[in-house]
Amino acid sequence: MAKEKIHVGLEIGTTKVCAVVAECGRDGEIRLLGVGESPSRGVRKGEIVDFQNASKCVHDALADAEERSDQEIKSVWLAVTGSHLESFNNRSSSSLAEESEITEKEIGDVEYKAKEISIPKENVILHSIIQRYYVDGQEGVIDPLGMLGTKLEADYHIIHGVMTRIQNTIRCVKEFDIDVDDVVVNSVASAQVVLSDSQKQAGAVVIDIGGGVTDYIVYHDGVVRHSGAIAIGGDHITNDLCIGLRIPITRAEKLKIEEGSAMVGGHPPGEKITLRNDTGFSGKEVDRELLNMIINARVNELFKILKKRIHEVVPEHLLGSGVLLTGGCSMLRGVREVAEMIFDSPVTLVHAHSVSGPTSAFENPQLSTCIGLVKYAQAVNADMPEETIMSKFKKLLNFNLGL
Amino acid sequence: MSPYPHHEEPAKEAVITLIGIGNAGVNITDRLAMRAALPIRTIALNSDQQSLTASVASKKLVLGPMTTHGLGAGGDPERAIDAAKESLGELQEAVSGSDVVILCAGLGGGTGSAVTPLLAKMAKEKGALVVGVVTSPFQFEGRRRSQQAAESLAELKRHVDALIHFENDRMAELVEPRADVSETFAACDGLLFQAIGGIVRMLGNPGPLPIAVNDLLSVLRAGAGGCLFGCGESEGGNRAHESLEQALRSPLLDRGRLLQEAGKILVHLSGPASLTFAEVAAVMREISKNTSASANLCLGVSTAGDDSAPLIVTIIGRTGVEERKSAPAPSVAIPSISTPPPAAPAPPVEDKVIEDPEVASPTTKTQKVKQDFLPLEPIARGRFERSEPTIVEGEDLDVPTFLRLKIKK
Repeated sequence: MAKEKIHVGLEIGTTKVCAVVAECGRDGEIRLLGVGESPSRGVRKGEIVDFQNASKCVHDALADAEERSDQEIKSVWLAVTGSHLESFNNRSSSSLAEESEITEKEIGDVEYKAKEISIPKENVILHSIIQRYYVDGQEGVIDPLGMLGTKLEADYHIIHGVMTRIQNTIRCVKEFDIDVDDVVVNSVASAQVVLSDSQKQAGAVVIDIGGGVTDYIVYHDGVVRHSGAIAIGGDHITNDLCIGLRIPITRAEKLKIEEGSAMVGGHPPGEKITLRNDTGFSGKEVDRELLNMIINARVNELFKILKKRIHEVVPEHLLGSGVLLTGGCSMLRGVREVAEMIFDSPVTLVHAHSVSGPTSAFENPQLSTCIGLVKYAQAVNADMPEETIMSKFKKLLNFNLGL
Repeated sequence: MSPYPHHEEPAKEAVITLIGIGNAGVNITDRLAMRAALPIRTIALNSDQQSLTASVASKKLVLGPMTTHGLGAGGDPERAIDAAKESLGELQEAVSGSDVVILCAGLGGGTGSAVTPLLAKMAKEKGALVVGVVTSPFQFEGRRRSQQAAESLAELKRHVDALIHFENDRMAELVEPRADVSETFAACDGLLFQAIGGIVRMLGNPGPLPIAVNDLLSVLRAGAGGCLFGCGESEGGNRAHESLEQALRSPLLDRGRLLQEAGKILVHLSGPASLTFAEVAAVMREISKNTSASANLCLGVSTAGDDSAPLIVTIIGRTGVEERKSAPAPSVAIPSISTPPPAAPAPPVEDKVIEDPEVASPTTKTQKVKQDFLPLEPIARGRFERSEPTIVEGEDLDVPTFLRLKIKK
């Protein structure tokens, strides 16, 4: 690995397919070389519903990325999401024969045991992320390798999803003879680039609001405590507007982006927005209050559900760094303010940092996941203890998925 | 089959007789006989020989063949009474021997208006439980008919144990304005048909969770307030939500909004053997979300022996009555599905039910009439119509939030 390595992150989203090509230096520096994008078709709620159309979009995005980065893409790191993803925390333990040194084998054992839990038989484990080890009951062991003990325990955060749905996403890429290095859950990828180590320590929630799915992940004490996905996103807002204001879906989308806000009030009462007529649409006046009210209702509800889910696992006071919003829909006006009201803690809009390249690319919250994939790839490839776990996991995954 | 003697068992198999009176009544009776295999006796009763000839009821009765010569009462109650007097014996026979008599008629005409109260009285004297299911005429049918219907309705109320009363004018909202005449009438008939089917299912409900007759009566009691009724049926994977949606879409519920005003609500689910508890819970959760906190919800569930039966959700309620009786309604919301809030003074005691005064209230009446439709209901899920629904805690989140929270007027 003397050379700098090229990694490609690909996300097949509900609104767009995007591919990020980046160069990862050995010192951990990431330089973006190019970003390819294509509007997405055939994807609903983060999952592929029309294979032909979706794979065409994937092709377009990859071709675009190749052209812009001047690199040939051979393999990609693929982001997956969808409401089928589930997660939980599991503790496993393994006894050592004598008081002996803990080797990689024991660590491997304890991880294997952590995964030996009952998930639905059509599901496959995507990530098993170590939270902490305990050696003979001693808490807070970060790396037990080489320590002495009789009993090794470990807490893992395990994310699993329906195998066939993940396979469909993978097949979409394999169509073009491109390898999939690994699949990474959206929220795990996003967290790589939007969270700093200190935020991970202090406790933080990353909420990635996409077109069809909102992913969330909770860190505390430097480790993942909770994660999940809920199939609500910007599409739902658009759909609500389409129904509530009785305008075509394309106009609803445009109106949402140009005029919409998740905050009600703050404008003269009775203010109207005039939609110009268009082919097949005779123009309309829309009440701004109604527009914002519809968006507010949806965003409000989304955050309430998220808050409930998060607080079921992680108490509020542990989230010192507050809430970080990313994803395309986080750019909608007022979303941050609504989140602040619901979570009652500081909320910041974030995008990928700690990368270099065209600013416009990495400062775009829509690309957080893609850039996160590259960072994840780099972390896995770098000479870190994580590697053994991840490569093992990858082998297991590949085996499970029959790749 | 059971090794233990069940003395109660024969009494539970109540004999239900459905009597259709007049043209409208005969019509409904026919529909029921043809479309639903309900375990009931049906009797078609009319003074018009012609309509009876076409009927498929198990028993037909021509009223006063000498008085009307089988040509009908011609909308004249006096004539119908004369005809009934002539056939008094047959009428007596028709109402005897049943535990429950359901009288079905369109009020406003001759035979229906005059004979229905008479039959109700006779059935009551025979000791049967009498349920009236009647319609009042369209406004455009003229004042005379409305007048006759109102008089007949008042008379009927004195004799029946329970009364479901539909106004044709409101039922016409069921159909699109451009629907043709026969379609409109068919829709009205269909609603009556559903109502009777629902009542019969509730009465003959074998369980596992039967509805007590007292509960049914207290809701259907011939009192004041509007009658709420909704019924939906569906099969397949999403049957619980679909059937409930259909039920709530009934114009007599105003898309579930009138449920807010209901003091007591009966919900009956009749489904296949594969009906799951989760489905029942989902339906009840959805309904309790639409009801006021103090409402008294009664749940009944019956399952068929096989898996092919559709899931039928029937909602029957009455506006106002109980809330009006209660002292200041408890402001604390008591969310409950299975246990009715103790604060609501529901009168499950039988004698209380019967002597309960008619708490007439013009306000509920007017509210009931000026119901308006939500303009958006056909496209509630919009572009997510065909995608996998996002269900969180039993709520379909693909339906716009503002619709579910009922924010928009």
